[in-house]
Amino acid sequence: MLRIPATERPDLERVAKEHNFQFQTNGGIPFWDESIYYQFTLKQIEEDLEGPAEELEHLCFELIERAVNDETVFRCLGIEECFWDYIAESWRNGEKNIYGRMDLSYDGEGPAKLLEYNADTPTTLYESSVFQWEWLEQAMEKGLIPDGCVQFNDLHDSIVKAFSLLDFDGSLHFACVGDIEDDKGTVDYLEECAREAGLSTCFISMQEIGIDDRGHFTDLDDQVIKTLFKLYPWEWMFEEEFGRRVPASGTRFLEPPWKAVLSNKGLMAFLWEMFPGHPNLLPAYFDGDRRASELAGSFVRKPLLSRQGANVEIIHDGKTQTRSEGPYGEGDHILQAYHPLPEFSGNYPLVGCWLVASQAVGMCIREDQNLVTSRDANFIPHVILD
Amino acid sequence: MKRWNSISAAAVMSVSAIALSACDEPKVDAEIFSSLQQCTDNSDSTREQCEQGYKEARSQHAEVAPKFTSKNDCEGEFGAGRCEQAPYQTRSGGSVFMPLMMGYMMGSMMNSGGRRSSIFPQPLYRAADDPKGYRTADNRKVSSKTGRTQVASSAGRRPSMKRSTLSRGGFGASGGRLGSAAT
Repeated sequence: MLRIPATERPDLERVAKEHNFQFQTNGGIPFWDESIYYQFTLKQIEEDLEGPAEELEHLCFELIERAVNDETVFRCLGIEECFWDYIAESWRNGEKNIYGRMDLSYDGEGPAKLLEYNADTPTTLYESSVFQWEWLEQAMEKGLIPDGCVQFNDLHDSIVKAFSLLDFDGSLHFACVGDIEDDKGTVDYLEECAREAGLSTCFISMQEIGIDDRGHFTDLDDQVIKTLFKLYPWEWMFEEEFGRRVPASGTRFLEPPWKAVLSNKGLMAFLWEMFPGHPNLLPAYFDGDRRASELAGSFVRKPLLSRQGANVEIIHDGKTQTRSEGPYGEGDHILQAYHPLPEFSGNYPLVGCWLVASQAVGMCIREDQNLVTSRDANFIPHVILD
Repeated sequence: MKRWNSISAAAVMSVSAIALSACDEPKVDAEIFSSLQQCTDNSDSTREQCEQGYKEARSQHAEVAPKFTSKNDCEGEFGAGRCEQAPYQTRSGGSVFMPLMMGYMMGSMMNSGGRRSSIFPQPLYRAADDPKGYRTADNRKVSSKTGRTQVASSAGRRPSMKRSTLSRGGFGASGGRLGSAAT
């Protein structure tokens, strides 16, 4: 794993425009940096990331199996009792999932360590799937990177295929909070993938969703929403006004309800309890668990539910080293063994491994100048070259 | 195939070019009647078949007809005196209106080797701005005449349920407060 300087594409401004990305004369495309790239060997990708990600996915499935039979899991994850059966049913019925992203600490050697699993509402998908790929093609064509570079990126075709394999009736609705650019961009891309898979689609803002006299969710034409892809976290839906109406609504959701078990950082504590010593897991405990003393004063404290690196605290040798601000400080936390991201000249890359229909099919690298990767991180493209 | 083994398959987005336009769609045989009486008098179908189709369409009507919370809005779309009260209420107890069922459509026995064509029996409506045309509950024009005809196969599918939405805005509060759902 190498961090290599490169020349930016000279027509980057045009490229940005083509993809409807912002462009600043001095800063280029916000949160995108192609003045460097990361280079991996095929062996690193296949043996250290792709294989382990799929293995971790199966460990996650074992936790869901446990959750549907053992209510302590739902209880510890802070999921309200009125949703237990609903989540369990979605798993027993084999409801399909589309995508998720595992965030791993990996330095090119030794096992990658799972930091968390963004199993419900990951973004940076379009950058990973389309924009990063186009960079590879154009940079190679212009001689900005060596010939023979390839990429861990089968995202687009995999997503289209995942949509085409949904057993499906009628129109697929897509929803997010419509005026948030990052979220809407991701939903637009997924909607396009679904249309490429031959489905008819329709967008609605989360706030616009209605409910009819029989408890069905409806769109703005009062049509019953049969299937809804929501880029909106399960835990938010559960606590909102319509939340309790979800189980009886008859709407099928993507991501499926069982993803609520995985997108919760309590996942990390349960995985460690069930598979202690697994090479791709870090020791992790619920805050307050006496076994957490094994972390010997060096750990990362994270809320069960937080987004984009908010409210994360790094404690090293008993002292707080960093603490990020945010709105998610309430509620239960986990303590996860301190395993800092690798450093490359003052930068800390976080490897995101994409799973589509539970297959590892792609990768993104986000680089921050802090140990806690935040929403300000830059996307750095990668290549595979042996 | 893993994409990193080959660079030939471009990932550049293609705007979906596969949407089937209505005129490319296969047609299916259908029969359209303004009433049960018209069916039993004129159709090749038996009285029993006429009744079965009518009964099915009638039972669909309240579920699939477009809904309005004001009679004026409904009559604006479907014509004066052409709306009735739906068997629903809004949450605040207000009335819900829907157009009268002006006819029905069912599969035809013709040209199908004795098998009824794959039309879902359903009610039909007439819009104020096209008073001769028969439309499905999903606003697909099927014909201006009664009797045997051909319709796009998608227009013959089961119409979608339309009930009045009682309230909106029960989702989205957390996003409004916390911002992006991104992880």
